[in-house]
Amino acid sequence: MSTPAPGDLALPARESPTGSASGRRRWRLSGLGRPVLLLNLLGIFAFYAVWALATETGAVSPLFFPSPSMVAAEARSVAGTADLWMSVVASGRRVFLGFGLAALVAVPLGIVMGCWWPAKATIDPLISLLRPLPSITWIPLTMLWLGIGEGQKIAIVFMGSWIYILLYTVESTKRVDPLLIKAARNLGAGSFAVMREVVLPGSLPGILAGLKVSLAIAWSCVLSAEMVAAQTGLGALIWSAKDWSNMPLVLVGMICISATVLVADLIANWIEARLLPWERARRTH
Amino acid sequence: MTSFLSARGVSKTFGNSASGVLALSNVSLDVREGEFVCLLGASGCGKSTLLNMFAGFIPPSVGELRLRGEPISGIDPRCGMVFQSYALFPWKTVRENVAFGPKMRGAGRRERRDIAERFIEMVGLSGFGDHYPTELSGGMQQRVTLARCLAADPEVLLMDEPFAALDAMTREILQEELGRIHMRSGKTVVFVTHNIDEALIMADRIVVMSPRPGRISAFIGNELPKPRNIDTQLLPSYARMKREVWSHIAGDMAAMRDNN
Repeated sequence: MSTPAPGDLALPARESPTGSASGRRRWRLSGLGRPVLLLNLLGIFAFYAVWALATETGAVSPLFFPSPSMVAAEARSVAGTADLWMSVVASGRRVFLGFGLAALVAVPLGIVMGCWWPAKATIDPLISLLRPLPSITWIPLTMLWLGIGEGQKIAIVFMGSWIYILLYTVESTKRVDPLLIKAARNLGAGSFAVMREVVLPGSLPGILAGLKVSLAIAWSCVLSAEMVAAQTGLGALIWSAKDWSNMPLVLVGMICISATVLVADLIANWIEARLLPWERARRTH
Repeated sequence: MTSFLSARGVSKTFGNSASGVLALSNVSLDVREGEFVCLLGASGCGKSTLLNMFAGFIPPSVGELRLRGEPISGIDPRCGMVFQSYALFPWKTVRENVAFGPKMRGAGRRERRDIAERFIEMVGLSGFGDHYPTELSGGMQQRVTLARCLAADPEVLLMDEPFAALDAMTREILQEELGRIHMRSGKTVVFVTHNIDEALIMADRIVVMSPRPGRISAFIGNELPKPRNIDTQLLPSYARMKREVWSHIAGDMAAMRDNN
């Protein structure tokens, strides 16, 4: 036996077919054997029950808060028209463009700031000044510059999300193991290669987590922008429904926002799993 | 002839010069090309500090280090480091990890793949190229680190207690394989360990180091026949060597006890 075929193979790799991995996931879903999913459903049901009981019995006036059946009827009637779907598409498009642009600017900038202290030292004070400003404070200026068209909505989304993406990115670069940077340089990597090959992938899990949080913020930005000046979008839909005192439609709009952000989150999770295959390998062991 | 790898009058103080700790005091060492040198000593003797200085990770406070007569200043890819904690890139597969050095020197996709395959096979991991490091055992990860280092084709391999975190059986297998790889590749190796048996199995020459302050207390040539393996430990000459090495270390230990 001249070549001891890797004698030290405690071999976790081959013994983990997908079966055990999905088994683990199911186990985790129920959280250490606790009936988490059951309680999730119970919580939703309890909320619905209180809402239905309070409104359908007339204890709460429908003018004050519409009942589930009124909301359902309104939803059925608007779901048949193009209005609702156009609103979802219009808002979604603004978020997609504004948020995408913010990510394209903030992620590379954050990586550079994390790797190169002069960049961080220069930009840090600017961030401190801009961060406390909610995105709606940008509405007057952006309207002056860009009117009330698409560009202005996208700018609001951009202004509201880029700083958070930047902060998350800078923070994530700090969590990259310095030993890995040392190892890369020892193997001949220059500064740019270290950023591309080590800092970016090493901080990617944190960056993606930050992007998910910022995505929710981007949605709230677009809605406030649409409430102030817009003919289309979910924000405008809710605002005009208010003007017509159509509270059921307001609630339909709110539910639509929740559902859209939930779907966006699911898509983000799916992309995350595709971008971080090594994290999946770690989790299944 | 100038020596291949050398340290000349090297001292290292951590912290400021007044209240700092003297980690290494006036160390001089010459390593021949192709030689396998073990730095052996208890913790605190500065052996890892010396190794990190050869890699250019930390500069000496006094003295200088040279490779082929050229001073080592800054992180130097000519001195490849094998870390005790592997330091593999978790987001890269085994193949991508091993191909990292060739990629950094601009090798093409095809060439990188060929080089990676060759070294993956050399360390006995054929078939594991597409796995991520976290899917492998500690011993396998250390093999990948070794392959990654060799694939970058450094002139010197620096190894910082590479097998210390592994179980005893895995360690012996990897020691034997490293001995074979060293003979085949002819690379110069500086290997840090605190294990006398490991030093006796691996080294052409053992550099015994003592703590407080870190310094070299003895050079011991190791003439045990190669290739060495578990059987080597049964030779009478092995026992003699071990006693000799131990006598140097025991002397230091006694001196330390008296000082305390």
